[in-house]
Amino acid sequence: MNEPRQTPDSDVLRPQIRALFAALDHAGELPGAAAAPGRVVRGEAGREALGTRVRFALRLVEGRVAAVRYRAYGCPHTLAACEWLARQLEGCPVAEAPGVGNPLKWSERLELPPAKLGRLLVIEDALRAALAQV
Amino acid sequence: MSEDPVEYRAGPIYMDYAATSPVDPRVAAAMGECLTRTGIFGNPASQHLFGRRARARVEAARAQVASLIGAPAAQIIWTSGATESNNLAILGTARAARARLGARRPPHIITARTEHKAVLDPCRRLEQDGCLVNYLAPDALGIIDPQQLREAIGEDTVLVSLMHANNEIGVLQDIEGLGGVCRERGVPLHVDAAQSAGKVPIDLSNAPVDLLSLTAHKLCGPKGIGALYVSPQRRAELQPLMFGGGQERGLRSGTLAVHQIVGFGLACELCAAEGREESRRVAAMREQLWKGLESIGGTLLNGHPTRRVPGILNVSFPGIEGESLVAGLTELALSTSSACNSDSDEASYVLRALGRDEQTAQSSLRFSLGRFSADEEVGQAVAAVRREVARLRAVAP
Repeated sequence: MNEPRQTPDSDVLRPQIRALFAALDHAGELPGAAAAPGRVVRGEAGREALGTRVRFALRLVEGRVAAVRYRAYGCPHTLAACEWLARQLEGCPVAEAPGVGNPLKWSERLELPPAKLGRLLVIEDALRAALAQV
Repeated sequence: MSEDPVEYRAGPIYMDYAATSPVDPRVAAAMGECLTRTGIFGNPASQHLFGRRARARVEAARAQVASLIGAPAAQIIWTSGATESNNLAILGTARAARARLGARRPPHIITARTEHKAVLDPCRRLEQDGCLVNYLAPDALGIIDPQQLREAIGEDTVLVSLMHANNEIGVLQDIEGLGGVCRERGVPLHVDAAQSAGKVPIDLSNAPVDLLSLTAHKLCGPKGIGALYVSPQRRAELQPLMFGGGQERGLRSGTLAVHQIVGFGLACELCAAEGREESRRVAAMREQLWKGLESIGGTLLNGHPTRRVPGILNVSFPGIEGESLVAGLTELALSTSSACNSDSDEASYVLRALGRDEQTAQSSLRFSLGRFSADEEVGQAVAAVRREVARLRAVAP
């Protein structure tokens, strides 16, 4: 690089990504088992040193994903994709949850740059690790 | 100053003066006088009145630029900017050396890992052409040790090229010490002063420097114009890269851009007249900024704490992803070392050369302040960074 990278103008990130990135409402932790009913499954993938690390926690109540929380280290697209997935998963029947997990589909839906696919794969790994415990 | 910095502002707070600076309105006005039919529009190479008028303005500007760095006007060669100046200094010296040394003795060049790409890329090109290049490693604060340079110089070393102020971290090299080593060994020293000229004093009448690159747009002058200082002793050791008119005494052919040259000249004159006070003011703002950012906690200053140009501050926020940090700072226009969107995920090679790990390097921001920066903007910037760092820390695993 000739010069360090500049801050992106507000229109560099697509509006959908910017909106999701600005409102990471599902970031954080699920309350403990005593505070809410159901069973919590967790999955994690990636490493900060490689640029992306994602942790998902899903609360399952009576066959549905009652609540989703995530923690993530990554670029704005990664954080936006985590938030979008959390919103998609909440309320979804547990049996249908694996159908949400397709990075190519997410990339298309969120209109992400092709270079971001690798980061979506990390998100997928974290989500699959959680769902594998169901 | 004719424009109130805050009233003048439209959009984010500009903290990227190391990338480029706005043209000073006084400079823009002087440039405007050199464009139209009623102004100084002639070709300086022409012998008629219009040409003579233009030539007089070009030579006045040459004296203004030379005066800023304590050099004779005759030693200033106009170029399109520091990139061209660096290329002319490095490639031009290597070409001449190759002719002098012959095919069996490849010219040897010494530079540093933390140089701008406008130095590193010509050096890599020379390596492809069979030259030998040493890339000196700085210490953890970004400083090149003169002793390290002394040990690297060999029999066929034809040039040492080291920047004065680093464009990412603002650290100033000890040009006196490094140049002294070059003088001891009879090797020319080229200095890229794109980030330091007009910000810190440069006096080539006393400095052991043979070639020095300058650009106008970092000191509130126009883009597209720069200069290379060439000491009389080294002139014969420099071959031109461009041909076709023999301007600039054969070293840089091409019709001179009078309006840009006039703008560059005035920009240098303004720096000479007002630079000391401006540097004091900008350095105070930079310190205020660092104190504010440091108070956020978990922040690291990159580069030497005191040996630096007034306006550049490079800070890492370990544990925070750099691209997300800047994406959240919509009210600021600054630079990051994050490379998440580029073809390569490599973080800043400058910060990596200082020993920062990949993640810490990825989490860094470069704030650069300048002539039109305002005190209140510093407080606003600190508040914005504090907010985003807290938000991203709360999201991190």
